[in-house]
Amino acid sequence: MDTVSKNKWPIIIGVAPALLIYLVFAIVPILISFYYSTMEWNGFTDMEFIGLANFREALGDPIFWQSLKNNLFVVAASVFGQVPVALFFALLLNRKLKGGKIFRTIGFMPVVISTVIISLVWGMMFNSRNGLFNQLLTSIGLESWAQNWLGDPKWAMISVCITIIWQFVGLYLIIFLAALQNIPEELYEAAEIDGASGLKKTLNITLPMMKETIIVAVILCISGSLRTFDLIYVMTAGGPGHSTEVLAMYMFDQTFSSTRFGYGSTLSIFIFFFSLGLVYLATLILRRKSVAD
Amino acid sequence: MNWKSRGMVATAASAMLILGACGGDTESSGGSGSNGDQVELTFWNIWTESSPQNEASKAAVERFMEENPDINIVQENIAHDQFKVKVKTQAAGRQLPDLVQVWPGAELTPLVEGELIQPIDDILDTWDGMISESMFADYNVDGTQYAVPANVTPTSLVYYNKDMLAEAGYDQIPDTYDEFKQLIEDLKAQGDIPITLGNKGQWLLQSSYISTIGDRMTGSDFLNDVLAGDAKFTDDRFVKAVEVIQEMAEMEAFNNDFNTLDNIQHRELFLSKEAAMMIDGAWSLGPIVESIEDEGNLGIGVFPALEGGDGNPEAVSAVTGTGIAINSELEGEELEAAQKFLESFYSEEYYTELLESDILVAADVEMPEGASDSLKRVAEIVNTETTPVYDAAVPVDLTDAINSGLQEVSIGTLTPEQFAKNLQDIVDSGL
Repeated sequence: MDTVSKNKWPIIIGVAPALLIYLVFAIVPILISFYYSTMEWNGFTDMEFIGLANFREALGDPIFWQSLKNNLFVVAASVFGQVPVALFFALLLNRKLKGGKIFRTIGFMPVVISTVIISLVWGMMFNSRNGLFNQLLTSIGLESWAQNWLGDPKWAMISVCITIIWQFVGLYLIIFLAALQNIPEELYEAAEIDGASGLKKTLNITLPMMKETIIVAVILCISGSLRTFDLIYVMTAGGPGHSTEVLAMYMFDQTFSSTRFGYGSTLSIFIFFFSLGLVYLATLILRRKSVAD
Repeated sequence: MNWKSRGMVATAASAMLILGACGGDTESSGGSGSNGDQVELTFWNIWTESSPQNEASKAAVERFMEENPDINIVQENIAHDQFKVKVKTQAAGRQLPDLVQVWPGAELTPLVEGELIQPIDDILDTWDGMISESMFADYNVDGTQYAVPANVTPTSLVYYNKDMLAEAGYDQIPDTYDEFKQLIEDLKAQGDIPITLGNKGQWLLQSSYISTIGDRMTGSDFLNDVLAGDAKFTDDRFVKAVEVIQEMAEMEAFNNDFNTLDNIQHRELFLSKEAAMMIDGAWSLGPIVESIEDEGNLGIGVFPALEGGDGNPEAVSAVTGTGIAINSELEGEELEAAQKFLESFYSEEYYTELLESDILVAADVEMPEGASDSLKRVAEIVNTETTPVYDAAVPVDLTDAINSGLQEVSIGTLTPEQFAKNLQDIVDSGL
């Protein structure tokens, strides 16, 4: 301890390069965003200071609220879709299953496929005239269930979320599998001696042992789905109307398409605080639960 | 040396590394400079697709470099949508290339206002008698010329399949909207998609539909009047024009996946004879002529007249394109090289090559013998009267609102009145 406090400099030197890069490329831009958010600026001509007008505009902007709602929908779909599904398959694959490795690879596949390709392929499958889903429904006599999946505001968000869930289940599957492998065999043996059966072992040993991993997965899931952009951008471009618009996309459009750099910065400030708040909330809830246990 | 001073040296060194990296970066993205005797000019354009027009343009650049071995043009070909974003971003950082492709109106004006590009008035007499003043007008801001137009693009042609229309009992696009609606019903009755539409990118309803349909109702001065505060989007005539689009969507004139296809995919429906008509710009002419089975079966018309409209019922919205602007920071030897490039790029040879690849040009050059009948037909339409395209006439934030608003109107989540009011609110807040 004494050596550390006496020689702070080597530590500072060691951290400095990484810290500097982080400062320049992560912290400073956030601060600059705060500055831009008080400006009216089209990127070409001089900036004009307009105080909090951008913030006022954002709060009264229905598209902003719509995108926030859609964003929360994506978060909910991811947390309640991806995590349980991944957990289910992880528990399944953790048993000594024939061909388990193949299923593991298949499950992980979507994660390594480029998002653009996923979006285009799923876009074709969802197509209302000759897409896979509608043709399947028609061929088994469920024509009335066929929908204009991506073209109907009622269904577009749901269709997009199904794709997002499919894309990332594999990632959490691998995380959960790794965690499962770390649970000591002795615990199960002890439980077996006490007469615990399959379901009891899962509920009373496996899940509690994985609590920390699940918390991490949920947080990854929240921050990942708040950032969601590419998949929706390619699949629907936010349409039809603004029914699949999410915050990051609305910010991007306002900044680089409408060239309203000031307003775009304001939106990104909101995203910053929403993400911070949501992740904090999630940790709070999940930690309290684990403490209570 | 004790720890402290060593640490400071290291910190200073790493800081310099980073600063050095930044410095290097600006230099390379500035990208210009003379290398020995050779002048190097960076040039960004959207010639990524291997279309005949792009090939002709690239060939013109190669030709120039062969004739002028002392000038080296370094091209960067970037896809259209990404190009526009990239230019806006780089412009904000004042890091545009020496030569940059520019679009008229709302895209050009901010570059001029930001003093990022410079006038080319000095070299304009090169095109005396070849390019008329009205063709130059799109690239003219407040009496100063910033680029030379290569092609003129009508954005709202009605392509139709003659056989399919004949089957429904029509030999051309009807003259009035009521008859046009009947045609749509007749086509639907015989099991065809009346009009193919791919509005996923949201700009097609604006560029190819409202630009002409709006003009039919409001006349050509409307947009300027609105921007000047002398007229309002809530004008009955504009609302009526939007209602036409709403009505077509409601009567299922389009393929039902029209909001999930893009403007390339919708062309396929027309080519595969699933759809009888397609309302699209002249940019589709080349690809269609190239892949259609029988060009004699391809008809081209304009949107029908609307009752009570103030515009010319035969006019079509059009915009000139493929202008190249010179970076305002260029001077001396490099500026001379850039001007020389423009002078020889927009040559009669280039314009003739464009005509041969079914592109209508802004210059007055003779129609080559190999020109297709379809191109002659489009030239005929354009010679009647052209009107402004919305996205070239209004600021970008308004264009975005029109684009997404029209999509909402088409799916029924926004009424034409509310849409018009939203647009007027944006205009009012900007005044």
